[in-house]
Amino acid sequence: MKAPFSPYLNRIAPCIKQLVASLSEEYDYVSILSTDSVGFTVQMSQRSKSVTNSTMTTERGNVVRVCRDGLYSEYAFNEIDPDHPETTIQEIRRTLGRQMDILRKTSSPVYLTGILPDEPLELFVEKETERLPETDKLEQLVAFLQSLSDRGMETIPHALDCNARGMSTHISKMFISKNRFLRQSYVYTEGTLAAFAPNEAGEMKTAYKGVSGLGGPEILDRLEDVLAQMPKLMEELLGSEKIVPGEYEIITDPGITGLIAHEAFGHGVEMDMFVKERALGAQYIGQRVGSDLVTMHEGARCEESVTAYAFDDEGTLAGDVTEIDCGILRTGICDALSALRLGSQPTGNGKRENFAHKAYTRMTNTIFDSGTASFQEMLASVKHGYLLSGTESGMEDPKHWGIQCIISRGYEIKDGKLTGKVVSPVIMTGYVPDLLGNITMASTDRVVEGNGGCGKGYKEWVKVADGGPYLKTKARLG
Amino acid sequence: MFTIIKEKLHALGCEIFELTERTTTAWEFYFIRHKLDQNRASCVKTFEVKVYIPLDDGKALGSASGSINPTASDSEMDSALKNLIYQASLVKNPAYTLTDKALPAIAQTRVDVDAIAETFITAMQAVHETETERINSYEIFVREIHERFENSNGVTYEITYPSSMIEVVVNASHDNHEIELYRNFRSGVCNGEKLTRDVEEAMRFGKDRLVAGATPALEKSDVIFSTEDAVEIYDYFVYRMSAGLQFRKLSDWTKGKEIAEYTTGDRVSLFAAASLENSSASYPVDSEGAWIRERYLIRSGKSEDTWGTRQMSEYLGSKDSSQVYNFIVSGGSASSEELHEGNYLELVEFSDFQVDPVGGDILGEIRLGYWHHDGKTDVITGGSVSGTMQEAIPSMRFTRETEQYNTRVIPKETRLYNLTITGIR
Repeated sequence: MKAPFSPYLNRIAPCIKQLVASLSEEYDYVSILSTDSVGFTVQMSQRSKSVTNSTMTTERGNVVRVCRDGLYSEYAFNEIDPDHPETTIQEIRRTLGRQMDILRKTSSPVYLTGILPDEPLELFVEKETERLPETDKLEQLVAFLQSLSDRGMETIPHALDCNARGMSTHISKMFISKNRFLRQSYVYTEGTLAAFAPNEAGEMKTAYKGVSGLGGPEILDRLEDVLAQMPKLMEELLGSEKIVPGEYEIITDPGITGLIAHEAFGHGVEMDMFVKERALGAQYIGQRVGSDLVTMHEGARCEESVTAYAFDDEGTLAGDVTEIDCGILRTGICDALSALRLGSQPTGNGKRENFAHKAYTRMTNTIFDSGTASFQEMLASVKHGYLLSGTESGMEDPKHWGIQCIISRGYEIKDGKLTGKVVSPVIMTGYVPDLLGNITMASTDRVVEGNGGCGKGYKEWVKVADGGPYLKTKARLG
Repeated sequence: MFTIIKEKLHALGCEIFELTERTTTAWEFYFIRHKLDQNRASCVKTFEVKVYIPLDDGKALGSASGSINPTASDSEMDSALKNLIYQASLVKNPAYTLTDKALPAIAQTRVDVDAIAETFITAMQAVHETETERINSYEIFVREIHERFENSNGVTYEITYPSSMIEVVVNASHDNHEIELYRNFRSGVCNGEKLTRDVEEAMRFGKDRLVAGATPALEKSDVIFSTEDAVEIYDYFVYRMSAGLQFRKLSDWTKGKEIAEYTTGDRVSLFAAASLENSSASYPVDSEGAWIRERYLIRSGKSEDTWGTRQMSEYLGSKDSSQVYNFIVSGGSASSEELHEGNYLELVEFSDFQVDPVGGDILGEIRLGYWHHDGKTDVITGGSVSGTMQEAIPSMRFTRETEQYNTRVIPKETRLYNLTITGIR
């Protein structure tokens, strides 16, 4: 079935168009993004259970972007009287006027920017889903998640608790400017299992795995397969040791490959950072940043994942950008305002945490291309190293090309074979061009995952997905 | 709308509920160098509803929560509330009660977003920049938050408070080499002088990072933490004392228990505070209408009390607990000079320093540190630090002097012994 576009947004569309028309009389550029996204989060464990009708991306509201004399300003609101849009216009004038008073008092100069292009475009997209979060039978889902938790307690060694969680969101967004009328509706879903158990030393270990994708709550059925993997995963963590710090040959599983893609050349080529001269990548366009095996794509059109939208939060159509081609950095990703400032084209990567937040250049799907090696060939080629698996967190340093990845576990490889020894947790650090330059093998398969969220610095959380094949390289582990 | 929602809940037969109306007025200013990149404002109102349904003859309690949009139509509101009541019937937790103690009137704070924003801008303009150390960009966020709460036991409160944040990026350069340092300062309102001072300190660290050498392969070293990253260390103690973690058996620091087998270390005392000067969460009630009772959670290394939601606290047998937003860790036994004796690494910049609140793992990539050894000091960068809190607590030492970082007061300097250092030379 098609995910139906929000009736509420259809209802307010004439009023929003009128707001755009009225504000256009006094501003050089006006656009409004309106959102109406609904969903649920269900969480079942042995010790507590909860249901909410909110997720990371549920929202309803509007944000007006205006430009006058080279200065872009925004006003976000979630109360509007469709019969009296002039009340909202007065509030926008009054508030932005007060802000201008402060800027005058502090003699703050303006970073002058041109007027955003506004070519005529109409779009109406409703993506396919089997089920909708707002009409789903939660009774069945609650029972399913509770059953996963119960069976987890029976099968996962020494588990103190097993937490099963499902989240599904139906996104509806509408972008209106003088010449554009874009509407889209799609559903994405994610779920996780997390079990907790103490090792012999009393240290608590967390086994964690998730599923995600474009589509409705039917995606959560895949948690059944995750449950089957949890006992072995916990056994490995409970028997894990601390790693001896050093530089090793490593094979990254698709999840860690995605983490590297995201931290290394995801954040590093967000071009709003180029505007601020915060990214080394700007100086390396056209230069080698990885081995011949490194080709990396980024864009909402790359994969039907949790972030596979049709247009971004600035009304730019979704893209598919080849960032790195056979080791050569070709381009970055760009929001509309940064593109205007840099004289380049927007790539459909202008995203907001929600309607009340600013749009920044943000990632969507960040993916390494597959290679030609089999996993067994890659394993056989390692003298002494680790197979890394399980993303915990990552942090970028685009100015210095450092990278920090915190990884759940490393499986020791000696003389081309897994020894059965597991180390946990592992912190992988290094210099991005070295890490990518040392990639010597990539597997033929590819997996893209989209659990959790991504922040810019320590804020502005948005949905992203990343992945790729198994990669072989060298890295410093601690 | 607040009243309408209550009336509708009553009409639907829902007798147990919590309702919170929150209005957030936000002003934001984004600067590149000192030029205004964009100004933003928002006014957003939300209604958060949590409904409860007694189940199994009162032995269990079902609950579900959600938002009602201020633009919701009458039928949308009915549908949303009916849906919540249905969802609550699916979620069986052991029975617990809602807060029922009447609250005294709370004096309302006047928040002047215009003035706070102006102070932020002038403080940033006052930062002393040089040819080689300068401001790259900054983002100012000023919020006035007004909350109105009521539950079905008749407990009500209204609070208004400021919540501010500034994200600052500074650059330091030498010849063609430039690095950046990132800071994220949170507070109630803007303390202009402190902000200017803190940004200038970041610039000094930037200057040092430019001349830093590679971190040696020390394998093991004592580490002194003297910046905001140390909050992560003390938040481990905060989370271990949360009712949620204890009820889920993820923390065994139960009341009356020594939290570690202490050897030579300073014993931690952790105090739950209702307010801290200029904290972004300085108000005397929690989000469930409970008065925040100030008390020690840990005293001299011994667990005394937990904090947390009404549900989790009651499961642990405590009805007068509350959530807590501000915490004070008492100073230790050492002076700064005593703490700095012998060889040690002082780590002041990380990519992202983390302490796992459940597992206790300590992990962080080093961006800047000082290796003090044999009377010399080397400025270092790269590699990582790792360890576990379980191993660190018995011997950790910290200064008498304390420092406030928004909602936390912690010892100014903390020394953890024998951590693992992965060097790059």
